[in-house]
Amino acid sequence: MSSGQSSRGPALSLVKERSAARSAHELDWSIYMARAQDGDREAYRRLLEEITPYLRSLATRRVPNRSDVEDAVQDALVTIHAVRHTYDPARPFGPWLVAIANRRIVDGLRRRGRTGARETPLDAEHETFAAPEANYHEAASEARALREAVERLPLGQREAVRLLKLKEMSLKEAAAVSGMTVAALKVATHRALKTLRKMLGRQDRRT
Amino acid sequence: MITTPDLIESLVANSPPVRRLRPPVARALGWLLFAALMLALLAVSHDLRPDLALRLQQPEFVIGIAASLATGVLAAIASFLLSIPDRSRVWLLLPLPALFVWVSTIGYGCLVNWVSLQPGNMPFGDEAGCFALLVLTGVPLSLAMLIMLRHAALLAPTRVAISGGLAVAAVTATALSIFHNHDASAIILIWNFGTAVLLVALGGLTGRRIFSWIAQR
Repeated sequence: MSSGQSSRGPALSLVKERSAARSAHELDWSIYMARAQDGDREAYRRLLEEITPYLRSLATRRVPNRSDVEDAVQDALVTIHAVRHTYDPARPFGPWLVAIANRRIVDGLRRRGRTGARETPLDAEHETFAAPEANYHEAASEARALREAVERLPLGQREAVRLLKLKEMSLKEAAAVSGMTVAALKVATHRALKTLRKMLGRQDRRT
Repeated sequence: MITTPDLIESLVANSPPVRRLRPPVARALGWLLFAALMLALLAVSHDLRPDLALRLQQPEFVIGIAASLATGVLAAIASFLLSIPDRSRVWLLLPLPALFVWVSTIGYGCLVNWVSLQPGNMPFGDEAGCFALLVLTGVPLSLAMLIMLRHAALLAPTRVAISGGLAVAAVTATALSIFHNHDASAIILIWNFGTAVLLVALGGLTGRRIFSWIAQR
């Protein structure tokens, strides 16, 4: 882009240059496609690699879902491959390419519209993350289930769990607070965990 | 899902030289040549209608045949043009003027001969031969067009099928008026136009499926 032109009318010269660049591309593409039709694989590879970003920009403009854009690009590439014998090198390449790409993009939108009618989109608010706070609801319900299970334990076992696990006391502290021996606390904790496991496990199977 | 660069690689690896399609009008003429051949074969095997020489002196009859033939030719050209991705879809309108004249002659003949349509003297009974003629011309012509235009499956199957159906129907109707002896124009209307509507509707409704089926072979 020359700086002298920008003082006169930057928008106009930009448009002009862009269309000039595109028609230069088109001429290249037309030649590549003509060679590809004759079996020149290198020309074909270059053509497909060069039109891919262009197809992507066409698709991005019309396909709302970002993850479907690449599908549309690949669909267009496969179609171009299948009908490459319909290209007449005497005619410009651009309209041929755009017609095929638009056709496939619209077909894809229709197809996705049909499947989309039977699906619910996964929005940001439906997403779950590895971070525990993102799964707060589930965690909360599990915590409540655990708390209720602890409430249903026999008195000695409940006490042992409450002091040793929930308040995180040492065996000695817990013995001092509860008046139970260390050995009795250990046995009660062991039994409490076993009971809890059984209660929660049975609940799991039931739901 | 395959990545796009991998896809390009596999397409490149599987890209033998292809033969370019000849210009669409030339291909349409090829199909029309085939249609002419079919009609010639029919003329040899089937007798021409006995009163053909007489009818050829009637302007409505000549205009009707010319219009149906023109509809067939134009619709065939339109189908071959429409099957090429970068041609305008406005080509679909190409056969419309001829179609209009054709339908008008049928309608006109119907109006003039309405009186002759007494319930008693309706020339039924000839339907088997008529139907055989329709199938004999319609099926090979449809198949030929389907195979010649199979690449349209991925592009504009419905448009191409509608116009192709019209081409087949118009050529078939021309054959019918040359070979078959119909005096009551209501029958002409039913056979000619009914077949045309049926074929065009079939093309429009099932074109997409039929084309993709043929394209997979």
